[in-house]
Amino acid sequence: MDDLKLEIKKLIMSTLAINDIDPGEVDDEKPLFGGDNALTLDSVDAIEIIMAIQRTYNVRIADQHIAREVVRSIDSIARFIAEQKTNTVS
Amino acid sequence: MIIQNFNHKMAAHCESGTITSLLNHGGLSITEPLVFGIASGIFFGYFHKMKSFTFPTFIVRNKPGQMRRNIEKRTGVRFKTYDFKDPVKGQQTLDQLLLQNIPTAAQVDFFYMDYVPSWERVHINVHFLVVAGKEDSKYNISDAYFPRMVELDASSLEKGRFAGGNMSPKGFIFHLDKLPADIDYKKAITKGISKACFYMLKIPIPFLGITGMRMFARKVVEWPKFARDTEHLSHEIMKINILLEDQGTGGAGFRFMYATFLQQAASIIDKPELKDLSDELMKIGDGWREISLFSARIGKNRDLGPDKLKMLSEMIYDRADVEEKFFKSLSKAVK
Repeated sequence: MDDLKLEIKKLIMSTLAINDIDPGEVDDEKPLFGGDNALTLDSVDAIEIIMAIQRTYNVRIADQHIAREVVRSIDSIARFIAEQKTNTVS
Repeated sequence: MIIQNFNHKMAAHCESGTITSLLNHGGLSITEPLVFGIASGIFFGYFHKMKSFTFPTFIVRNKPGQMRRNIEKRTGVRFKTYDFKDPVKGQQTLDQLLLQNIPTAAQVDFFYMDYVPSWERVHINVHFLVVAGKEDSKYNISDAYFPRMVELDASSLEKGRFAGGNMSPKGFIFHLDKLPADIDYKKAITKGISKACFYMLKIPIPFLGITGMRMFARKVVEWPKFARDTEHLSHEIMKINILLEDQGTGGAGFRFMYATFLQQAASIIDKPELKDLSDELMKIGDGWREISLFSARIGKNRDLGPDKLKMLSEMIYDRADVEEKFFKSLSKAVK
């Protein structure tokens, strides 16, 4: 799971062209939107992230209510991807 | 007192979610995508110049209220509806229904739903929710956009139900009146799909369906003419993303929800080709999401030159082409 979280942080940074933060500075639990995480994002960034996750991990976050919960933090994104991958395998 | 056995559930869209909730409470096991599909919820309309809009806009679902009427026509379900001129009478009727343990859907102006954070509240007169109880001066509200039941002051509900303006709710409420002994799902699903295909492909009004989508593609490059300044234009361009993704559409302007409907319909009426069409529509939805992202990005960066609007126009033309092909195949599949 830690590898996945690091991968997600790198994916977010490359998608949003953020070069001035080290992935290690980004907290796994703190909200990515409007909080006090090293990464603070907005709603446009959220769509970018949703689409980058879909392209990279082949998992679609269709509904916006679910999307809001999923992209809340690095932890929630990692949990969602892991669950989707498990469901696809089983 | 909250109505016994009423289960709150989140839903992608307020109207289809509210109808699903009432049907489920009445004992009918039906999903929101199935309600949306049988009701021919998927649609497209572009409004370039209309009295009621200050700026060109578009819709991706059928008219508010139409889903309820289509469900009645196609399944035999009956809802009882009421509207009011007098707010006092409107509240008395609602309270009487709740005393009879009848969960009741209400049309409201979303702005007055003060359980929603103030920065998210906008004036939309066609928000639907279920009133599922009352304790003292507070109503128990099941709002499909919320993860749990919430409370709302009677005064706020009244303001929402009797708000003025375009498509004002006029205190409109409805509840389940009668469930049929049996529903012919094959007939209901087929009719729902055929009508949706008709509206997308054959409706002879140039701003609706696929021709409306092409009009949107053609006219979006003219949007700067309607804008006061760059700030206004960027706001309107970013609204494309909001209309497609953030107003209870289930993602990609209802395309993902309709794809889920087709997937469920494939097994209910034993038509495996609907499953393939469902997969195709998911991919079409991804293209709409690309449009959302593109619009949000150029709006946010104030990068709104003619080249960018031309690119946006081409992306919309492309969706019109793939949706035309898709709805022709869908129409053929249910003939």
